[in-house]
Amino acid sequence: MSVWGSGILNGMRITLRNMLRGPITLQYPHEKLELPERARWAVQMKREDDGSHRCTACLACEKACPDFIIDISVTTGEDRSKHIDRWRYEIGACMMCGLCVEACPFDALEMGHDYELACIDPGDLTVDLLIDTPAAAAKRAAAPPAEAKGGGDE
Amino acid sequence: MSDPRAQVEHAGWLSSVAPAQPSTRPVSAWGAVVGVDSLATDRLILNMGPQHPSTHGVLRVLLELDGEEVLAGEAVVGYLHRGIEKLAESRRYNAVGTLMDRGDYMSGIHNELAFALAAEKLAGIEVPRRASWLRVLMGEINRIASHLVWYGTMGLDAGAMGQFLYAVRDREVLLDILEDVTGQRMMFNYVRPGGVVADFTPTAEKKLRAFLETIDGYLDEHEALLGGNEIFQARLTGVGVIMKETALAFGLSGANLRASGVSFDVRKDLPYAAYDEMEFAVPVAREGDCFARYLVRMGELRQAVAIVRQCIDGLPEGEYTAKVPKVLRPPAGEAYASVESPRGELGVHIVSDGGPSPYRMRYKPPALYALQAGEAMLPGALIADVVVVLGSLDIVLGEIDR
Amino acid sequence: MNPLLEVALRVFAALGLMLLNGVVLIYMLRKVLGRLHVRLGPTELGPAGMFQTLADVVKLLTKEDPTPTNVDRALYFLAPGIVFVPALLAYAALPFSGELVIADLDLGLLFTFAVVSLVPLGIVAAGWASANKWSLLGGMRSVAQQVSYEVPMLLAAVPPVMIAGSLKLSDIVRAQEPLWFWLPCLPAFVLFFIAGLVETNQTPFDLSEAESELVTGFATEYSSMKFGLLFLAEFSNIFVFASMVVTLFFGGWRLPFVPVDALGNFAAVVFVAKVYLVIAIMMWIRGTLPRVRIDQLLAFGWKVMLPVSLAWVMITGVALRLGGPLIRGAQ
Repeated sequence: MSVWGSGILNGMRITLRNMLRGPITLQYPHEKLELPERARWAVQMKREDDGSHRCTACLACEKACPDFIIDISVTTGEDRSKHIDRWRYEIGACMMCGLCVEACPFDALEMGHDYELACIDPGDLTVDLLIDTPAAAAKRAAAPPAEAKGGGDE
Repeated sequence: MSDPRAQVEHAGWLSSVAPAQPSTRPVSAWGAVVGVDSLATDRLILNMGPQHPSTHGVLRVLLELDGEEVLAGEAVVGYLHRGIEKLAESRRYNAVGTLMDRGDYMSGIHNELAFALAAEKLAGIEVPRRASWLRVLMGEINRIASHLVWYGTMGLDAGAMGQFLYAVRDREVLLDILEDVTGQRMMFNYVRPGGVVADFTPTAEKKLRAFLETIDGYLDEHEALLGGNEIFQARLTGVGVIMKETALAFGLSGANLRASGVSFDVRKDLPYAAYDEMEFAVPVAREGDCFARYLVRMGELRQAVAIVRQCIDGLPEGEYTAKVPKVLRPPAGEAYASVESPRGELGVHIVSDGGPSPYRMRYKPPALYALQAGEAMLPGALIADVVVVLGSLDIVLGEIDR
Repeated sequence: MNPLLEVALRVFAALGLMLLNGVVLIYMLRKVLGRLHVRLGPTELGPAGMFQTLADVVKLLTKEDPTPTNVDRALYFLAPGIVFVPALLAYAALPFSGELVIADLDLGLLFTFAVVSLVPLGIVAAGWASANKWSLLGGMRSVAQQVSYEVPMLLAAVPPVMIAGSLKLSDIVRAQEPLWFWLPCLPAFVLFFIAGLVETNQTPFDLSEAESELVTGFATEYSSMKFGLLFLAEFSNIFVFASMVVTLFFGGWRLPFVPVDALGNFAAVVFVAKVYLVIAIMMWIRGTLPRVRIDQLLAFGWKVMLPVSLAWVMITGVALRLGGPLIRGAQ
């Protein structure tokens, strides 16, 4: 068994060596990984310091979503101001592609880092990110950081 | 080579729904098929069903067995069909990438790249040099990750467990790098017509350089653990042989073709992105058996590491994407582009009618032809060989079923 | 002591050994395999996951136990028993120390091998009765491999018997001075180890339960405690086989440079430690090597192992004839 079998013995040496290197397990939920900045999980509304949002109900995200899971219902007042009745978002169907965030011209959305989204009640799979709130004014915010966004916008 | 389907008798409800050929089986035991020493034997129809630890996805293989030997095999696919080609007809060009990611999910970058190249051909978009290099870099990282999974599952198919976890350990680093750059570990949505979505990050570069320091040693270990193992060699040599002419007739590509002696690599013969600026070799074997395919893919792993090194060292400055309208409307026409994905030549053919979505997108999956060739390799093999053959072909059902 | 009471004690000792051994071995397997695979094994239940096996036993006991429709009912219910009982019986002749033997038979070796060779019967019964083609294949493979390797295994165990001059296991242990038998009978040791791996369905020869091919092989249709019995029997077999390796080739309960009965009954600890070391090596092999194919396995058994084991028996015989007193040592 000197020449035939040496591969087997070498393989066993490799396994032993790997065992002595120690486990690489991260014991979730006691330990959690740091997510990188660009990690894409559930969509969130960006909030200013005073808690207000920047959504102007332009519906660009609703049109950009490939799976049509964003549903924004808007009522327009007589003075042409918009009021968002409901900004509905089906987390359960979202594939976290980030196209809605890229499409938003007002930098109102961001991909959150929350991945612990499991829930028991199927009703929780659809959330309202905004309810019964006036739409923000449609003047452009300070230029959104173009580096994090997709190529070009027109 | 006769059509094995004629010999396989569909069992159960299939035959009641659509009775196929009249049964040639005798009714009584006296007239039954005679085996060794006049002992009556019967053929067994076994269903390696969609749920099976080794079918690399939801693949169903119907086997007609004589004891342990396979007389005929038939692969039944479609369990993972999601209508990617049809869905692409109602998506904007920048959103089709999300569909392509989910075709061959092990190598999302290559899928997106094939579509992006075809769309760029249609629309006449020129991609900046840095974007091409980034595409190559991410593509090769993806190739290493995909081949590591293939390596791990190849061992699992043969019965070994250790190497799978070592391969996964190495792959985790790559997935971290991919997540750092693109935002997701698997469904990247990174390559778009025009370029890429975002630039390479300094944190990703740091992780990548650390990875490149250790990967050669780890690859040596992986090769010694499986390829150097005599039992593994005995399981794989001489099994699932496919010769050059048959391989070409089946339309095989990638490592499956190169292991049969045909030196065809899309990156060398029909270069795209920045591959004409890269220096790398293309491993080719001659025997055409499972072990040859194993060796070719291990060679490809090494070459991919070499390409990654060249890319990260020589990444040019510039834009990471061209200026592309949000809603791309290429002029009417058609274009085909193919890339060398880890599975073979992955092609995308787009027919455009000038609208915001493709009129028709055809996704040519290399694994489909590999599976057909695999079906032809089954007669004469043992059950253990079926698993090994399917593993060595490196099929991914997402791409076969779309 | 009341003879009936003594018999009952011995029987319960065997049963207790078997159950305790099963519990410990399953935990050890999961931890050792885990570490070999750069991961942790069970960690949550109890310190270092010690109570995981207990939780698994409770789970197995409370699980639903469906019986598939077309099974051969008598065989389906009997098969786990046919596998379990010989595994339990085999503990009888194992010498844990000079006096700690459940039944120190004069034909100890023969008895153990005879009993262990009943296991393939149960496995093929399980495979056949399950009315499942996958189980059938697993059962068939198992009976082919285990019956083929009975002969090389027995022949490989013969050289130690020839040197010791007795089939009684404690005699074989006592005869192992000054050298333990693994060195003078090295080929026999290697052959016995390989044959034992085949007999106990361990990787690289676990074809009958090859997960990546046959789902769970012959045990696919079994659940709840029937599966528990099959599983327990498998681990008992491993223990028995490792004990045979230690007894025949590694000096049983002896420590090097220590007289045979010096440790008294503490020697049982030494014995068990050695057995677990052998089992750890078997688990190391399990975590590394791929599986052989059935035709390669049978070819190896009949064409390589059988001739080599026969040849080694002849060589041992000749060597004993020529230099008997030298080899037999101080007896």
